[in-house]
Amino acid sequence: MTGTYTGFTSVENVQQKLESVDYIPSREIATVVYLAAATQKPILVEGPAGAGKTELARAISRCLKLRKIRLQCYEGLDEAKSLYEWEYAKQLLYTQMIKEKINQLIATADTISEAVEKIAQQENAFFSERFLLARPLLQAITADEQVVLLIDEIDKSDPEFEAFLLELLSDFQVSIPELGIWKAKHIPIVVLTSNNYRDISDALKRRCIHLYIDYPKKDLEKRIVKLKIPQIEERLADQLVNAISNIRDLDLKKRPCISETIDWAKALMVLQINDLSPQALSDTLNVICKYQADTLLVRESMDKVLK
Amino acid sequence: MLNLILNFVCACRTSDLRVSTTEVMDCARHLELVDVLDEAQFRAALRANFAKSRREQSEFDRLYGLFFHDMRPDVELDADCDPENTDKADMRQTIEQLRQEAGDDEITKAIMDFLAGDPIPYLRQMQRLETQTEESSQALKSNLSQLSSRLEVMLRINRTRNRLLQLMPDPTPGGAPGKNQGMARLLMERLETANRMLTQETRPNNDALKQVNAYEKKTMGIGERPFSNLTAEEIVKMRSVIDQLVRKMKDIMSRRYAARNKGALDVKKTLRTAQRYQGVPIEIVFRQRPLRKTRVVTLCDVSGSVWSAARFMLNMIYSMQDCFSDVKSFAFVAGPTNITDIFEKHDVNQAIEKVITDADINFNAHTDYGEMLTQFHRNHINLLTKKTTLIIVGDARTNYQNPCEHLLDDMRARCRRVIWLNPEPEQFWATGDSEMNTYKAYCHEVRPCRNLNQLTDFIEDLVF
Repeated sequence: MTGTYTGFTSVENVQQKLESVDYIPSREIATVVYLAAATQKPILVEGPAGAGKTELARAISRCLKLRKIRLQCYEGLDEAKSLYEWEYAKQLLYTQMIKEKINQLIATADTISEAVEKIAQQENAFFSERFLLARPLLQAITADEQVVLLIDEIDKSDPEFEAFLLELLSDFQVSIPELGIWKAKHIPIVVLTSNNYRDISDALKRRCIHLYIDYPKKDLEKRIVKLKIPQIEERLADQLVNAISNIRDLDLKKRPCISETIDWAKALMVLQINDLSPQALSDTLNVICKYQADTLLVRESMDKVLK
Repeated sequence: MLNLILNFVCACRTSDLRVSTTEVMDCARHLELVDVLDEAQFRAALRANFAKSRREQSEFDRLYGLFFHDMRPDVELDADCDPENTDKADMRQTIEQLRQEAGDDEITKAIMDFLAGDPIPYLRQMQRLETQTEESSQALKSNLSQLSSRLEVMLRINRTRNRLLQLMPDPTPGGAPGKNQGMARLLMERLETANRMLTQETRPNNDALKQVNAYEKKTMGIGERPFSNLTAEEIVKMRSVIDQLVRKMKDIMSRRYAARNKGALDVKKTLRTAQRYQGVPIEIVFRQRPLRKTRVVTLCDVSGSVWSAARFMLNMIYSMQDCFSDVKSFAFVAGPTNITDIFEKHDVNQAIEKVITDADINFNAHTDYGEMLTQFHRNHINLLTKKTTLIIVGDARTNYQNPCEHLLDDMRARCRRVIWLNPEPEQFWATGDSEMNTYKAYCHEVRPCRNLNQLTDFIEDLVF
């Protein structure tokens, strides 16, 4: 097995590299990423929606300059869509096109069994990589260089799919009946994310190391906002982060996430609002609240939000 | 180092965290890579390996604090400790003396071990207390056995404290400076920790819980009236609204059935059938979209306190039975009764009538959620699989009986989702004998469900 090179040399190094691609990790995130990369274990990331789970995988791939392969999970996802599929249509077309060649091949055969024998010798031609349609998981395994494999929202998939992932995540190999067992050329960096819609099975959890990403603390979120929008004024950034943190404490249907904070900040910049007044908040509320009931609730508790 | 980790693992396991050998090995490997003197890194490495979900993290944090901060494992009391250090030798001696004086029942032993720096027997005692269940007796119920066992432990701790005070110099800073003050303070601290662990309640960290309070106010008027305040006239009106809702639900489901046959072309099957016609694809096969085989198990409280709402809940459960492939329904006051058959055989109003009159439910009993969970766990646990959604309807008022929440935890581990619908408004949840906040920690989703709009919102969420 090759591919032990992982690109990170220490926890501090992880922190630096991630920050260089505009992702500010907490100490815990950096430690876990370093450990996972160094020991080639998948990371299972949990946390509320929009706390930066998917973004973490993206940042790892960017800072190590590795290709990212993403598999979005959903109910009913199966091997054919995640691992590989034979391209029957292509096989059929090829058979049609080389019909004459096949006829030539078996022309010399005297008996049927001899003809079958002759065709059987060519079987490899039909069940070869040429007709194999690689889906994300197979792509990650067969890639010529190390990749970052993101398996997004694993909790949305069925328990069957989870069980199927076990072989892949513990041995980094897949078995294709017609071709045998394929081992990974390079062990990918695997990131699984979960929104906790349902609990993940113990077997899968055992194979991963766990990381919980919460909404960032106020100062971290402020750093993120200032990183993404450098021209924002210090005072506005403070007000913004404060308001968002208060809004998250409200009893909402959907709490605003980091990307919504940034969208909101951008909206305020465009509107050239430099001070977060109740009027300004009320006008731009639809950037952060995605439900009518939530918007109403924030309007009602305006003084609590802008405290 | 490894011994320390193994001891910690042992403590984790006694507190019901599942830590496997591979995880210990991974952790050992990880600790070689990080700077163990940096606590943030050390802790992150341990946490990433031993607490594999958000729910387990609070338990992990508690144990970590206990093991690496409160117990201070660096002050070890093993036999080979420095003979120069009289502190430690004295401490060992003191503990030995205490041990001999006290009896040798398990609790006292555990406290002594705890004092000596080994928290594991004590943690085991705590775990036993947590999961203790009442002897099931229909005639006379009490929830005292758990309380009295706790009291017993507390008395032992107090006795030990008194004895310690006699044996040792005054540990308070103002006291006379004795040579063993440090030791005395440490032992006292440990006793305090033991006491704190006894009195604190631990609940898993459940912030992934979906708690829905906001809802779309679709129908004003009747949609906003609490179920408990409806007049007879309104009940009739309500039925028709619910009928509409049910029709809508069935509509959605049938649309889903219709869409089932509209998948993409299934080349494999088409080719296989084409073999019959010498390779000419006469029959074209489309891939079927498999329906979600949702199984639903509902547990509905039908006791007096929630009866006004239970009526409509039963109505809803009845209609669900038509929509999902497999619904098992139970009604309970004290013990669960299977009402699936009644619902399958009869028309809706008749079925609800029959649940009240015919079903084997003891309406005179006091509501007892612990008893219900115990019986369900004993007799019907095999109904719960990874494809089951468990819906519990009730106000979680247990008449101060033991709530047996660890059973709900076990049930959660077996099924896909646990949803709790509470017909009480949220501000009453933690009042009186309501154990809603206890049970909340083990649910995936909780909703107040006291009027039609909330019920509609829930059903739409469930079906879509």
